[in-house]
Amino acid sequence: MNIAIFFGTETGNAEMLAEDIATELEDQHETSVANLADTAPDALLTEGLNVIVCSSYDDGDFPASAKPFVEKVQAAKPDLTGVRFAIFGLGDSEYADTYGFGSMKVAELLVAHGAEALGDRPVHDAAGDALPEDMALPWLEEIIGGLDA
Amino acid sequence: MSAKIAIVGAGPSGCYTAQALLKRAPDLEVDILDAQPVPYGLVRYGVAADHQGTKGVARQFARVFTRQNAHFIGNLRVGRDVSMEELRGAYDAVVLAAGLSADRPLGIPGDDLPGVIGSGALTRALYEHPEAQALPELGEAPVVIGTGNVAIDILRLLAKTPEELKGSDLGPVPTDWLAARKIRRITVVGRSTAGAAKFSPVMVKELGELSQVDLRLPGCAQDAGEALQAAVAASAGPLPIEFRFQSRPVALEQADGALRLTVETPQGVEQIAATSVISAIGFTSDGALDRGALLQEVEAGTGRLYATGWFRNGSVGAIPQCREEGQRLAQQILDEITPDPARPGRALFADRSDVVDFDHWLQLDARELAAATDQRCRQKIHLREELLRPANLQDA
Repeated sequence: MNIAIFFGTETGNAEMLAEDIATELEDQHETSVANLADTAPDALLTEGLNVIVCSSYDDGDFPASAKPFVEKVQAAKPDLTGVRFAIFGLGDSEYADTYGFGSMKVAELLVAHGAEALGDRPVHDAAGDALPEDMALPWLEEIIGGLDA
Repeated sequence: MSAKIAIVGAGPSGCYTAQALLKRAPDLEVDILDAQPVPYGLVRYGVAADHQGTKGVARQFARVFTRQNAHFIGNLRVGRDVSMEELRGAYDAVVLAAGLSADRPLGIPGDDLPGVIGSGALTRALYEHPEAQALPELGEAPVVIGTGNVAIDILRLLAKTPEELKGSDLGPVPTDWLAARKIRRITVVGRSTAGAAKFSPVMVKELGELSQVDLRLPGCAQDAGEALQAAVAASAGPLPIEFRFQSRPVALEQADGALRLTVETPQGVEQIAATSVISAIGFTSDGALDRGALLQEVEAGTGRLYATGWFRNGSVGAIPQCREEGQRLAQQILDEITPDPARPGRALFADRSDVVDFDHWLQLDARELAAATDQRCRQKIHLREELLRPANLQDA
């Protein structure tokens, strides 16, 4: 399957996870990794799967590298019907009120333009003990398994 | 043929620069030098003990050493253990990412009186830096000068209950010191208006949510942002923290066994009694390197010398800015660099037995994590002697 992995990051943690996901999947799938900052809305795959890894910054804001993508979607209002995506958030539970809002807002934006969200939207807690890849890889395998079936 | 690059300082600016260099050119020989026997600089010793999420970038930095093959050369202070000239002779490029470790003085009469402490000195003691002074006596009514995020970090730690510090890496000595504090009120003094204060709204919000805190704003702060106003309205704990904006410190004196701070305000001169004064108004060079002259050479652009982060910019910018600047700088270096095989690179340090490498850190890290209590995520080793020769390494 074609799997395009995109990351929205502020400090690089989402980029690292995106690369880890690609490394895990590349033996079985055609993978690519791109920064949302360099991504146009029409780069989202309509065949295959889009995986988005996105953090939050400050008070539940988009991370810096997701902002240009968000602005492009808001300006171009593309029809994303047929785009399927799975989204994984990075957050910090020290800021409980807006925990994982960056990924939530990206997901809402894509769905509002017709894209289909697959699976739930887990959020890794930077203030917790678990490693993000230990959460993200099983989650994604289950989503991919559902598509292959 | 791969170029050899030395980065002075293993904090966020140095690590992000190395990450970006090695991502673009994986064959480079990148060495990151640090005066301390441990890496990560302000991520370990400046980011607050209760902001573990922010410290998560250390995982990326570890990979710079374990996967991208940068070398850590710790316990090596440039300017003392090796000269700038030697370093520049040995490497194709030198990047100064040494940060700014001295507190900027208040610059008013009395700023060196006993009871006046800089935020850097205080946080080094709180976060168990190997060169920290002892934790000071703050008394019942400390005054904090400065309204940036460092000031807010200090207020938050001073106000937290033991329960609110759970999961942090605050050490046993600072924990006992906080438990024994006698603080009954804190006054925060800033020159700017409330609206122009440098703190992040999210940090003020976090402060206002603490159980003990009662944030107060006297009437003159009409331009206070939403976050500050909301935090003032919501906080109702037993510890008053009063923000006094548009108050320019002009003098400190000793009076009745305590300190008296004189400030100029739009309403005239006022005096504030203080049992101690914490100045949190930014950082400056400690003078170990001749920063001014070095930055002139960096600007001239002819000496294979670069600078980044606080060392270059002054103490402005947080972790995301370190990353952005590191990426820009890495590209610039790769565009400009000409490797010379005659330069020895890390062979310069081959005879030094007193430097430590990244494996040494990995052993310390494992030990610190294993020593954590159920209230803490880590127990830092803080004595320089033990950081250099931890007991179980000695036994091995």
